[in-house]
Amino acid sequence: MTNLPPVVIDNGTGYTKMGFAGNSDPQFIFPTVIATRETAAGGSTRSLASQSSGIGGTSSHLASKRGAEDLDFYIGHEAIRHSKSYALNYPIRHGQIENWDHMERLWEQSIFKYLRCEPEDHYFLLTEPPLNAPENRENTAEIFFETFNIPGMYIAVQAVLALAASWVSGKVSERTLTGTVIDSGDGVTHVIPVADGYVIGSSIKHIPIAGRDITQFVQQLLRDRNESAIPPEDSLEVAKRIKESYSYVCHDIVKEFRKYDQDPSLFRKYEGIHSVTQRPYEVDVGYERFLAPEIFFNPEIASSDFLTPLPDVVDQVIQSSPIDTRRGLYKNIVLSGGSTMFKDFGKRLHRDIKRTVDARLRRSEELSGGRLKSTPMEVNVISHKKQRYAVWFGGSLLASTNEFYSYCHTKAEYEEYGPSIARHNRVFNTIE
Amino acid sequence: MILLETHNVVLRDTLTKRFSSTQADPLDITFVDFDGVTYHLHTPTDDFHQLQLSVRWACFPQLLAYGAEALLQQQYKPFLSTTPEQGWHVTFDIDPRTIEGSKGEDVIRRFSLLKRNLMAAPFEHAFALHQQGDNGQSILTVPYREEESIFIRPQSDRVTVIFSTTFKDETDRIFGKVFLQEFVDARRQPAIQNAPQVLYSNKEPPLEIRHLPNLASGDTIGYVTFVLFPRHFETDEAREKTIDQIQMFRDYLHYHIKCSKAYMHTRMRARVSDFLKVINRAKPARETGERKTIHGRTFTPV
Repeated sequence: MTNLPPVVIDNGTGYTKMGFAGNSDPQFIFPTVIATRETAAGGSTRSLASQSSGIGGTSSHLASKRGAEDLDFYIGHEAIRHSKSYALNYPIRHGQIENWDHMERLWEQSIFKYLRCEPEDHYFLLTEPPLNAPENRENTAEIFFETFNIPGMYIAVQAVLALAASWVSGKVSERTLTGTVIDSGDGVTHVIPVADGYVIGSSIKHIPIAGRDITQFVQQLLRDRNESAIPPEDSLEVAKRIKESYSYVCHDIVKEFRKYDQDPSLFRKYEGIHSVTQRPYEVDVGYERFLAPEIFFNPEIASSDFLTPLPDVVDQVIQSSPIDTRRGLYKNIVLSGGSTMFKDFGKRLHRDIKRTVDARLRRSEELSGGRLKSTPMEVNVISHKKQRYAVWFGGSLLASTNEFYSYCHTKAEYEEYGPSIARHNRVFNTIE
Repeated sequence: MILLETHNVVLRDTLTKRFSSTQADPLDITFVDFDGVTYHLHTPTDDFHQLQLSVRWACFPQLLAYGAEALLQQQYKPFLSTTPEQGWHVTFDIDPRTIEGSKGEDVIRRFSLLKRNLMAAPFEHAFALHQQGDNGQSILTVPYREEESIFIRPQSDRVTVIFSTTFKDETDRIFGKVFLQEFVDARRQPAIQNAPQVLYSNKEPPLEIRHLPNLASGDTIGYVTFVLFPRHFETDEAREKTIDQIQMFRDYLHYHIKCSKAYMHTRMRARVSDFLKVINRAKPARETGERKTIHGRTFTPV
């Protein structure tokens, strides 16, 4: 059964994306959450350990049970549906797996219940955040080889996959693994420079502005304007819908305000239905259409503790990278994740970065007194159709190539050398 | 989740989405089900409403021989495509527009159970042979996986179902053995006296099928025998349920071996953190107190 497609799983902090390689969209997208019968307080390993009174005592919560309690759990949307009677656990925090017990069971159910495949027949491609500890990679390999007996696996860095995904864009002329990845999901935005597939770890920057903050900002705007029609319990959901369906990035905030004042047709109406009474209601959508994504470019309108605009952060990241990579990094700025999906987001980012870069070049020419002439810096921001699930899509692309199998760590190697094989990335073998 | 479900979730979700929306986008997905079944669901023409579903399964020719053809005609007739897609075993054409709203759900359910229904064919066939009073002459062999087969032997008073299953891993083999012995023992409990009899043999094929050629034997293979009596398949309801559960048995077994390992790992992690605590307690306390330098001054070590 070697012709079965590899499985691609991208476990993110907020959502897990998984499916079979070769497809253009993941088959399953669900919150990375597991609902268990354990007490709500704390994760299990820690709480398990704290409940036990040393060796030989009642060892663990789970161990004292003799039935099938370890199978009594739900994952994803089903977990949320059962949140009244079960305790919700989020096994991934900040992109890193924190609770391996829960994660193992989450994988178990996602493979057998949702993907419905026999893991022994499929190769697996998993993802990891940049700067992931090698121990985490070892643990992952251990679970997949020991528990699931998979024939082979590859753990890819999310940013690199996002770069690979951008190859579908028409704007990309050469398929390189050098570029700056702007990955903005629900919780946090990362700016990650990658040179020839290597992540430049020391230059990575995080921005505490992402999807959730935009939603909250829209919610706040609606609240400030006294949109009384919105049922209070749905206000976050309504804000999210408005953000997703009406928002766009504007060219100039002041001009945009004036445009709205002159042309009332720019205002929209959101129509919703009250979840309890089933009564329809209407919400006016106005300035928040362009103000929402504006917090990436002018963070001071929403927060008071983080004030650097995204284009400046990108510029800083590239400026702190090794000098010989900088041209490549400016040339290939790739967007990934749901919060980069706003209309014209790439255009605005491009303009702002270009402006900073050009100003710097001009200044250095002035300082040299006209003796130095530098070649203009090429800045490209690449947006493409697969941006939302770029990481998964990049994984799907990679895993559907024939070379993928040669990058994989196989079960035979695992049995020969142990989990430490996962520390090594086969793709870079030739460069060593 | 103790029992695995019989329907395919990807197929169900995708079809439900296509049936419920009037808008149609191009689609092309390939996905799998247990036992090496591969599906290909796509929109073959520019008319994106028109869907085509193809299925590939290595044991498809055997299934056809055991009555899957009749089943396809009976359950999926309006959708059956005359020529299967190149490289696939059977192809269906589905157009959500031609199916009325109320029937949609039934169609979705029927397609999500496609694999189950195909696999049900040999069982139905065997039950029919049993009704005709076949006395163990014919044995239906379904090589449902590369190295594993199901043997069904109808007799006048019972139907014997034998699974062969391989274990790729030494640990799995042991888990499997314990698990299957537990099955044999569990039947002694009064509450489940009516369950089919289960026998398990490791390495050697059971007597019923020992005369068959090309049987695998060895360390990694195990044979599970279920003896179904007429009470397990006389009524329609019982028959459906028996077929549902017995054909998922192999995946059920391997799923639970994996679950047991995950459970063991949970306990191992808890135990390790316990041990670490003990070790940390055993660390000698740092010596504190005054110390003097050679000149007689005191200093406190940091």
